Amino acid sequence: MGTLWHEFKETLSAVLPVTIVVILLQLIFVSTNVIELLQLIIGAVMTIGGLALFIGGAKLGLLPVGEKIGSRLPEKVSFSWIIMSGFLLGFVVTVAEPDVRILASQIDDAGEQFVSEGLLIASIALGVGVFVALAFLRKLLQIKLVYMLVPSYMLVFFVTLFVPEEFIAIAFDAGGVTTGPITVPFILALSIGISAVVKGGNEETSSDSFGLVAMASIGPILAVLILGVLFYD
Amino acid sequence: MIDELILMEGMLEELIEVIGALAPLLALLAVFQVFLIQLSWHEVYKALIGIVMAVVGFTLFLQGVYIAFMPAGQEIGAAIVEHPESWLLVPIGFVLGAVATSAEPAVRVLTYEVEEESNGAIRKSILLLTLALGVGVFVAVAMIRILIGFPLWWVLVPAYGIALIVAFFADQRFVSIAFDSGGVATGPMTVTFILAMAISVAGTLEGRDPFMEGFGLVALVALAPILSVLILGMIFRFKEKPE
Repeated sequence: MGTLWHEFKETLSAVLPVTIVVILLQLIFVSTNVIELLQLIIGAVMTIGGLALFIGGAKLGLLPVGEKIGSRLPEKVSFSWIIMSGFLLGFVVTVAEPDVRILASQIDDAGEQFVSEGLLIASIALGVGVFVALAFLRKLLQIKLVYMLVPSYMLVFFVTLFVPEEFIAIAFDAGGVTTGPITVPFILALSIGISAVVKGGNEETSSDSFGLVAMASIGPILAVLILGVLFYD
Repeated sequence: MIDELILMEGMLEELIEVIGALAPLLALLAVFQVFLIQLSWHEVYKALIGIVMAVVGFTLFLQGVYIAFMPAGQEIGAAIVEHPESWLLVPIGFVLGAVATSAEPAVRVLTYEVEEESNGAIRKSILLLTLALGVGVFVAVAMIRILIGFPLWWVLVPAYGIALIVAFFADQRFVSIAFDSGGVATGPMTVTFILAMAISVAGTLEGRDPFMEGFGLVALVALAPILSVLILGMIFRFKEKPE
């Protein structure tokens, strides 16, 4: 229960200041209707409580399992299975990410149903999966992060040239939302185990996620751009 | 104008969606449990309680966002467009970005990490200030983009160009931290409220399209921490050299 209380305070401090600004904007620009205000406040309470419960539950139920998998994988299975597991876990954890779902539903709401919510989430997840696998590969082969980031971003901007403009903004937004409240801790938990096995080249510290999150946010950009090339011309 | 509270409507659908969202992860974890990790019954029991909490929390979170923050963002966005002083959107964007960032727990973890890595040379308070102002500026840029209507790549290409060039010269420890931190400022509030507001403004404003000018805001917010940490990392390197 101690952790849950801690999560609640963290979430409260993250959401409350914005909520106050939102309430002020609502009063100034929209209306001073009491019922509308009440709905906003109750909704904010649900958001805060829900997020705290979600993160607390994930920490209790999912992260220890992730850590265990991270430490057992290198002991028990071969190189290629580690990469494969990175792909699968990156994929499924993105499907479970709240921020991704909210973005997908906003894209759906904005009209012009050119991609369904499901297809969009699947491609974002695919992008994360592939790049988590690449990040594991990078760590195992000890390639410098810059040598992965620069070509990846160059590829992203190259593909951008062939994509209709409506897809570009969505694609880059997708890169930002994958690093949400569940993906980052879960992937980090996994990576701790992998890092322990690869102890050599200490150009980086043990505390960082060895550029995993950086890599994980390129994948979805590329995936959604490719979706744009395939489904829209 | 509504005169009745909408609180629970659609919650069952949310619950079904959440179960669908978590199902693939749980299935994969079950496979790992059988073939790789073999947790004890006690550990499995703890994991199951956590999962039930996560399902309930996720559902509540989505419902709260759908009944409060998203409609509020849409209404406020549309109302500002109608307002004679619609340029107010720019300072409002700045304030929202700065407030959301300085309150985000992930940002605090980042500032702590950078202070440690730089042996105290980059103080937490300086990085926090840089990040809050940085995100504020980028949200303001996103709002200017909606009002004037210029393409996203006008900002993205030069910003990523600078970031990648600086990445070669900055301390390598800071490169990982910087690119990893892209996501820290794009917390739940950015996507739920600020983006909803931007999309609504772009949808209401004559000659603007939500897909062209509304989206792209999250991408801009993600740039601020990357640039801030890299530039501070480079300053730190130059400061360290003479010794």
